Amino acid sequence: MYTPLRIDPSKALAEISTFQRKLAAGMVNLRGFGEPEYANTPRELVYQEDKLKVWHFKGNGKPSSKVPLLIVYALVNTVWMTDLQADRSLVRNLLDQGEDVYLIDWGYPDGADRWLTLDDYINGYLDRCVDAVRKRHELDAINLLGICQGGAFSLCYTAIHPDKVKNLITMVTPVDYHTPDNMLSHWVQNLDVDLFVNTLGNIPAALMNYVYLTLKPVRLNQQKYVGLVDILDDPNELANFLRMERWIFDSPDQAGEAFRQFIKDFYQGNKLVKGTLEIGGQPVDLGMITQPVLNIFAELDHLVPPDASRALGKHVGTTDYTQLAFKGGHIGIYVSGRAREVPPTIHQWLAQRSR
Amino acid sequence: MIDQASDFLQQDFLKQYQGLAQQAWESWARQLQQPGTSANPFAGFNSANAGAAPSDDLLARSLSGMKNYFDWMQSAAAGTFGSPNPSQAFDWRQQLQQLFGGASQPFGQAFAGIDSTAAQGFGQQWQAWLQAAQQGGFGDLRGLQPMAPFGLSREQQLQQQALMAAVLEYLETSRRYQALLQQANAQAAERLQDKLAQRAEPGRQVESLKALYDLWVDSAEESYAEIALSAEFREVYGAMVNAQMRVRELQQQQTEQYCRELGIPTRSEVASLGQRLQEIRRELRVRPNAEADEHERKIAALHAELVALKKQMQTPAALSKTAVKKAIKTTPVKATAKPGKAAVKSASSRPASRKTASKAPARSIARKRK
Repeated sequence: MYTPLRIDPSKALAEISTFQRKLAAGMVNLRGFGEPEYANTPRELVYQEDKLKVWHFKGNGKPSSKVPLLIVYALVNTVWMTDLQADRSLVRNLLDQGEDVYLIDWGYPDGADRWLTLDDYINGYLDRCVDAVRKRHELDAINLLGICQGGAFSLCYTAIHPDKVKNLITMVTPVDYHTPDNMLSHWVQNLDVDLFVNTLGNIPAALMNYVYLTLKPVRLNQQKYVGLVDILDDPNELANFLRMERWIFDSPDQAGEAFRQFIKDFYQGNKLVKGTLEIGGQPVDLGMITQPVLNIFAELDHLVPPDASRALGKHVGTTDYTQLAFKGGHIGIYVSGRAREVPPTIHQWLAQRSR
Repeated sequence: MIDQASDFLQQDFLKQYQGLAQQAWESWARQLQQPGTSANPFAGFNSANAGAAPSDDLLARSLSGMKNYFDWMQSAAAGTFGSPNPSQAFDWRQQLQQLFGGASQPFGQAFAGIDSTAAQGFGQQWQAWLQAAQQGGFGDLRGLQPMAPFGLSREQQLQQQALMAAVLEYLETSRRYQALLQQANAQAAERLQDKLAQRAEPGRQVESLKALYDLWVDSAEESYAEIALSAEFREVYGAMVNAQMRVRELQQQQTEQYCRELGIPTRSEVASLGQRLQEIRRELRVRPNAEADEHERKIAALHAELVALKKQMQTPAALSKTAVKKAIKTTPVKATAKPGKAAVKSASSRPASRKTASKAPARSIARKRK
């Protein structure tokens, strides 16, 4: 009979000593380590309204794609996940493929934005951003790439304004909010959202971050930082780690009214798949989406379970529906080694539909 | 009672808040002034260390994950492996108990700590109010029935009682939440034991503290996820957050009341103005669009009339007044959707867009649903 624990005491002491040494030396490296920069792919501002900005990215050459691609990111966290790390930037890789890329930067809402509703975001801001890009290219319709909550917004937008969207791509987008493994959804079912928003006004980013951390408390609060000790002596790895920390924790507050509606209608009511959702008094029927749809989701996503995304195939009206399961997590789809697979897939899919 | 509460607001609460801010600042300053190395990398972050940063120090919180792991490794070595006769055979289950059980085990803090970490901001506020209430003569809140309010301060007494009830409700729901976290922690230990039992044969044994730790993390997350997805957790979580919000709401109400008495604008008033402003902004956005649509309709009608008149002039005998009217009626009114114009007509053209879409033929889509 063997024991499963075969830890040699002397090796254990050496392990402690190594950890201590690495940490002590690493703390020196951490001190004075500047704020890591994002990829900062060259871009120009083409539209601005309130705190919102639409950026047009500049690649090395002229885009081969005739129809521009507008990226619609989530309101939670900043949009720079799409252009985080130079060698793994989604934006940069899309440019390299020949796409003409635009991005909506929602900005950081403050008290003045407390009363922005989903109607303001989707039929207001998003619609005017789409119009601005359409106008620049003199096109009736453009391509949309919606990410996470931005994907949900893009679905709503396409259902309401179908004539302005040529092709729709959704990435890690929740569609069915009541799948059994959706922890976030599970937690908010008994939440008094009215009391929550009336009390807090805008929802603080720190609170949102805390909730996300508690989805995997030990892994995200402890194990991640234990692992950090091993890369403290590697400036590149440390910069990548700190850049991600910056992105995770430098996040915007949520406009109160939009948050109220999103939790009530999407998370609690699951109205997007029930077909009972209304944005600004207009019904959102996924069956109305007849454009080609590419739905990309992450198989190990703990924020948006794969089944929550897969559901789109059952509800969308198009006959040209393509699904791509990415082997990774919600964040890994942008920054992991495999992340490079995604932009060529998007480009190829779009190219086939632009002939 | 009101005076005491008021005193608290003006003195104790402010003092505590200022004290907290000062502590955080001082601890940061100390960290910045410290030399880079130390025998114990956490020496500067340990609240038990004289002159060190307090436990609620921001940096210490950021480092607590590493520190807990470091402390655990040290205690594991000193306790389990540092026995007088380490080569002696031992029961690995007992060893596991020593490593992960007991009140001092650091991993429980990973669970217990998540609430306290997040409660910064919420927790500090209600704790301060709770202390104020106790100092203000409320005594032991848990055992007391609220006094029937009366007199000039009746409304304020009612508010205080509501706040105290809300605080107690929060404490109760928080206790239930913590109990579930502890349950997850206990189940993690059992799960770890099961995982280890499957690794008894040579080649699969755990040979380092880090490997044991990683296995424990897997166990902990699995146990936590199971509980976090339970109906009980959902109920407790919702109740706790709602109770927390109720406390905060009542705090805000009381604070706003004092502000009004002092002539200071309140958040509710600012929010109310913001709401009105946003409504006006929405109306202004829609109004020009509606006007533009009306103009477009008129122009289209005039254009149709002009076309009809031109036809009438070309063949005056062939066209009667009725024919002109018919021509006007059947001429399409919809304006061409030039992208340049879309920005100003988007809001009011939504219903039309939808209608158009429903009738529009399917686009040139490749029919290859997968």
